[in-house]
Amino acid sequence: MTRPAQTLNGPPSPSRPAIEAVRVLAVGGEAGPGPLQGLRQWAAELGVELEWAADLPRATRLLAGGHWQLVLAVLGDRSDEELTWWVDALRGAAGGPRLVALADRPSMGLALRAEKLGVLDVLALPLKRDALAAALARVRAATTEVAVPLPPIDAEAQGHYALVGQSPAMLEVYKLMARVAHSTATVLILGESGTGKEVVARTIHQHGPASGPFVAVNCAAIPENLLESELFGHEKGAFTGAVARKIGRFEQAGGGTLFLDEIADMSLALQAKILRAVQEREIERVGGGESIPVTVRLIAATNRNLQEAIAQGRFREDLYYRLAVVTIELPRLVDRGDDLLLLIGHFARQFGERYHKQIDALSDRALELLRNHQWVGNVRELRNVIERAAIVVSDGTLRSEHLPDDLRAQEPGVPERTAGVLPTLAEAEARHIARVLSHTGGQIGAAADILGIHRNTLTRKMKEYGL
Amino acid sequence: MRVEQALRLLPTLEALMPLRGLLLSSARPDERVQWGSGGPYLTVGKRDVEPGELARSMGPVLGDVAKHIGALFGAYVEALERQERNDAPGAVTALVGAGRLEEKVGRLSQALGWYEVALALAETLQDRRPEVETLLATGDVCLELGRYAEGARHYQRALVLSEGEFNQAGAVDASVGLGNTAFERAEWSGARAWYSRALRLTEAGNDRLRLGLIEHRLGLLDRRQGDLAAAGDHLRRARECFEALNGDAALEMARVLDAQGELDAALGRPAPAAGAFREALAWVRRDQHDAGLDVTIRLHLAELLLGTGRWLEAEEEMRRAEQLAITSNQTRGLVQIYTLLGTLRGRQGDETGFVFFEQAIALCRALEGPPIDEARIYQAYGLFRQVCGGPDEARAYLERAGEIFRSLGVDEEVERVAAALRNSHDVNTPAAGAG
Repeated sequence: MTRPAQTLNGPPSPSRPAIEAVRVLAVGGEAGPGPLQGLRQWAAELGVELEWAADLPRATRLLAGGHWQLVLAVLGDRSDEELTWWVDALRGAAGGPRLVALADRPSMGLALRAEKLGVLDVLALPLKRDALAAALARVRAATTEVAVPLPPIDAEAQGHYALVGQSPAMLEVYKLMARVAHSTATVLILGESGTGKEVVARTIHQHGPASGPFVAVNCAAIPENLLESELFGHEKGAFTGAVARKIGRFEQAGGGTLFLDEIADMSLALQAKILRAVQEREIERVGGGESIPVTVRLIAATNRNLQEAIAQGRFREDLYYRLAVVTIELPRLVDRGDDLLLLIGHFARQFGERYHKQIDALSDRALELLRNHQWVGNVRELRNVIERAAIVVSDGTLRSEHLPDDLRAQEPGVPERTAGVLPTLAEAEARHIARVLSHTGGQIGAAADILGIHRNTLTRKMKEYGL
Repeated sequence: MRVEQALRLLPTLEALMPLRGLLLSSARPDERVQWGSGGPYLTVGKRDVEPGELARSMGPVLGDVAKHIGALFGAYVEALERQERNDAPGAVTALVGAGRLEEKVGRLSQALGWYEVALALAETLQDRRPEVETLLATGDVCLELGRYAEGARHYQRALVLSEGEFNQAGAVDASVGLGNTAFERAEWSGARAWYSRALRLTEAGNDRLRLGLIEHRLGLLDRRQGDLAAAGDHLRRARECFEALNGDAALEMARVLDAQGELDAALGRPAPAAGAFREALAWVRRDQHDAGLDVTIRLHLAELLLGTGRWLEAEEEMRRAEQLAITSNQTRGLVQIYTLLGTLRGRQGDETGFVFFEQAIALCRALEGPPIDEARIYQAYGLFRQVCGGPDEARAYLERAGEIFRSLGVDEEVERVAAALRNSHDVNTPAAGAG
């Protein structure tokens, strides 16, 4: 197969490792007559180099000692658990083997879970030759990837807090940043998770007039009962565990910038105290009676809709107007066009340096997968994916095999589970329910709202489809 | 609603402990939060819990609770019937059985309650075997709870009785128990003497399982004492013993492989170490799945990755262990996971990592975990504060850890904490001796 090479900078340098046989490890079943009967006799004609492991411990030893491309694992009674175990066990295994799970009567729930986990396929037992051939074809397809050089990154954009991106949406952000940086105005940064709110806050601080430190507090991370003392400090013995006097973040940020991230996660009581600190420019340590003057520039950020939170009575309107003197809204990664490439290049070089690897190319298939991904976690998720790839890459090219299973599960051109056959209504419904549940993080109430059905109906359907 | 908010509405009553467990195990992370800036600091307290879902999950849990209490009631009735039929040893067995049921669901203090009753009855019998069995069970629970001195007393008595009755299996188990107690208190020569004694007694017979268990313990001991070659020999022999049992000792095999992984890690061989841990996980999965052991092995794997600077993979492994610990109610494992996640953040110089230690302490207290766990959290928290700022807090946490270790008689850890405190003092007094 010849795929048109995508040119990013200069002509692509083709690299096509020739694979004559696919190395397959079959686990479970029996080597002789049994549900995998036929596997040995098809091995030669399908170009399979086959090894058999009778049980999990032996399979683990073989996986550790060799380079495999495909693992055929027979699942038992606890198929869901076993599937998760296999996905976990194959993570980081040499050769990045794909998993084909084999089960007696695979449920729709199992198939959908497998899809979500990035399993190549779930096949019914007894194994059929055509089904195996199709799985092998998909494994082979991954070996025809073409390497494309990564774009060069502006040297200035490679610092620890540098902002990478030239999309129109980001240029708008830069303009706003430039406008507010030289003032001491309070700034509210809005944007989905992982869009770089803290990076923007740091950059504003670095280019601003304040000479003091930049202090960041993550309001979502800190347990509610500790957040107050984290922000305002406490006196020794103020509560159990207050083993010594603690200087809070407001004081630590004196003369500088205090960045309150995920501010919507704060309780109303604490919001009132923040408001007082902003208005009065003084704070009180927990367990202390003295008012302490503080001079800080406040930058707040959230990924929530604050107007909605105000309407629901979960966020103080007066605090909102105090914080939103200037509002900067950060774009989602999927709305940043070719910034994706620049960011891939940036992170590939950053992590290449960290892990002592020279990464200068990306395969066409890997790029396609990265472009097609939804990036719920935006730049943070991309950074994580590239770091993980940088750890496992052995030469200078990031390929699809280096990407996480859930990304690989979206390989373009991959047929639906029921190849060539249109899905039944039940299959389509199950798939859609699974997608919505994934979107709501498993919350049934929210999923039922989106689907427009009663939660009891949804629960019944989930049970029916084994979701 | 967040778990931390939901827990505030739940009183700490023993009868509600299963509900507390259900609350934790049914909590789910919000995908948006996972990728948010708070994602790297997510703990079980920050997960979401849906009241409706909780209500729906109650049925099976209540069923399990009823089944457990029914089994306890049954054991008690059986003990009464045996007693009425003048079968006191049978009554002791029934009571010990009830204790074992409590142990199985992690209710160690309740198990001790049953064993105390069984012991009082067993002490009145002429046949000493029921007493030995009860003493050994009591010793094991004391060891698990970190009540070492008390455990040692029970094992000692079991040994004396077993030897008086020529009960070889009892003598071996009591010796191993005494060895384990000494091991936990870092009394290496004492531990070696007890294990060697158990080994001598076992070698005469053909009990492969006990032989394997003792070899395993000797392997652990040699590793702790720094004789890595000898440790490797013991672990190999333990493995041979368990392999000879044709798969009937899958969990023991998993434990030995876990120890082998730790040994390889100590020898600076990360690849074989990771291989051993992975195989250990496969053995756990092969047999009746033991979630506690699974979590332990994953933690060791994470420690290996942490030690070799593979932070991303270490964190992924810890998060997998966390998920498993949450869904299978392995709260003690969760405490260890959060302590290690805090340590990881400390290595990364990330001050917000303190949230993990706070969560570990809160969990440890809420579930009345053994004091040794609390000591280890404070020890790690103190070291974290030394690196990430907060010298006063660092000192206070280390001192607290030292106090607990001292009360448990774990001298090696007391010394380690003292060294960290001296280091903290040196760091904070740069002018000392500098003129």
